[in-house]
Amino acid sequence: MNVEPIIRVDGLVRRFGEFTAVDHVSLRVHAGEIFAFLGANGSGKSTTIRMLIGLLRPTEGSIVVDGIDVMAQTRRVRDHIGYMGQRVSLYQGLSLRENVEFYGGLQNLAGQELDHRWDRLRERFALGDVEREAASDLPAGVRQRAGLALAILHQPRVLFLDEPTAGVDLVGRALFWELIQEQAAQGRTVFVTTHFLEEADYCDRVSFIDAGKIVADATPAELRERTGTDYVVRVTGPPTGLSAVAAALEAALPPRAAKVTVEGAQVRLRMGSLSPERIVALRTAAEARGAHLLGIDPPDMGDVFRVLAREAGETAS
Amino acid sequence: MALAGVAAPAIELRALRKHYGSRAALRGIDLAAAGPQILGVVGPDGAGKTTLLRALAGLLEVEAERSIVLGFDLREDTAPLRAKLGYVPQSFGLYRELSIRENLLVTGRLHGLPDRAIAARGEMLLGRTGLRPFIDRPAGALSGGMKQKLAIASALLAEPRLLVLDEPTAGVDIVARDEIWAILNERRAEVLIVVSTSYLNEVEMCDRLAYLEGGRVVAAGSPAELRAATPFELYRVWGAAPRAIAREARELAFVSGVAATGQYARIEVPSERSPGEAAVRAALERLPGVVLAEAAAIDIEAMMRALAATASEATPVGARA
Repeated sequence: MNVEPIIRVDGLVRRFGEFTAVDHVSLRVHAGEIFAFLGANGSGKSTTIRMLIGLLRPTEGSIVVDGIDVMAQTRRVRDHIGYMGQRVSLYQGLSLRENVEFYGGLQNLAGQELDHRWDRLRERFALGDVEREAASDLPAGVRQRAGLALAILHQPRVLFLDEPTAGVDLVGRALFWELIQEQAAQGRTVFVTTHFLEEADYCDRVSFIDAGKIVADATPAELRERTGTDYVVRVTGPPTGLSAVAAALEAALPPRAAKVTVEGAQVRLRMGSLSPERIVALRTAAEARGAHLLGIDPPDMGDVFRVLAREAGETAS
Repeated sequence: MALAGVAAPAIELRALRKHYGSRAALRGIDLAAAGPQILGVVGPDGAGKTTLLRALAGLLEVEAERSIVLGFDLREDTAPLRAKLGYVPQSFGLYRELSIRENLLVTGRLHGLPDRAIAARGEMLLGRTGLRPFIDRPAGALSGGMKQKLAIASALLAEPRLLVLDEPTAGVDIVARDEIWAILNERRAEVLIVVSTSYLNEVEMCDRLAYLEGGRVVAAGSPAELRAATPFELYRVWGAAPRAIAREARELAFVSGVAATGQYARIEVPSERSPGEAAVRAALERLPGVVLAEAAAIDIEAMMRALAATASEATPVGARA
């Protein structure tokens, strides 16, 4: 992409005494992207986020968010970003609606403009029923949705979400990710961390930090390819002609792109990468021989990260 | 050691209830578990999972028709029960200022173990958990994953027949989660392990599941049994723009849930609304940009979502775990 990235981080370093928590991290995030920032406990993830939103001063390096130098203009950047942490900070004694008034006030939003914005968010975020309830009574999933709504009330261009789905149940997590993807579709950039690795698949790009260094930065599909975790394409065909089907499928792909085997009544192709074009090529080749593309098993994102963590450990030792 | 199906069940609960003031946290739990296994307690936020685990650990006053755990009645003095089980609460249950070695020593002495036995068992557990290199580090200075491993090692020190773990892997990274589950897997043949979790791959690793909703067990069985009983169909729809596909699919009358990864959209269809697999696939393949719509096997995610969708009106399908 040639467009100027909306988040540009160069040579970011943070030391605490002798300990280097963040070690020359450089990142590029483009407008409208959902960017997952993953890493183990103690990898430097939270320290990096705290620097990106201007809460912690780096030892070295530069951070530009939406054209603003975060270190030079820490206050100004806050109008351009929204932030939400693991534990959403709502004022417990106030109702959700009162929290909205309060947060709106901090952003110089009030009256009709605030009402208008909140009405739309309340509807889409399914918060209407709980608007009058005390913030302390909200279940985790609702509290996190409310937190997201408050974080975008001032319509920031970039959203930082630090483990927004921690402690949220499955249904709540699914709804939350639908909302995140909607925000991205509207052009908002989302920088997000999570320990639920299946959620990495909902993101456009994934970076992985280990011992303060970025060890991977790619699309989920590229990470699968790089870590050698395979897609398995399953094809059924006429029992007598399976080896011919296998040969035709192999011929439909670039040389050595897949490992092809006949297993029982199925042909199985294992491959590190899979594009829509490849699916079409395989489907056409299968159907031309009376065979049928049954389905594709994508590799487990957990396995992708197990490989990345192991590689990072080997490099470090 | 009790044998499954021969000795009295390790857990036998009938109509177990717990009220906090006027609020009912448990509204009649029916649950039985015989011998060693991993029993997963799952369900939405506020379903009563933590309350149930605390009740099993003998930490709550409860009402019930029957409430037997390891031969002790939860309605009576639970001190002897607490001495026989290991319990790892959701919040930090270690001595922060004490080192790993000292934490194990204190816990062992509380259980009345001689120091020599503590040293021997502690040594074995430290090896298994990978904590040995940090043995003199204060517990408060350990990473989240290491704290949880120490809490589990402490809970296992007295060789309990029952181990109760409340979300032991919440907020823990995948490598440490794998290590924690390796410890549980090693024990599943000897110890009854009751564990709550919100990670899907961990739900899958349990021998049996009890799904809670509104303070009741509304479904129970092995992951495979519950998957087979899921009244949903799952489709994966591949194409260049899965988020657009998901948006379009949501408009189809038979679709109840969608999610979009970078490569495919996941589409859930309740069986009662499905016009049949071929018709669903044909309809999905007519959406713009679709290169393949496949019927996929029900996975744990679809199973859990189906349970969440049907739990409120469902009658229990069985409560023996």
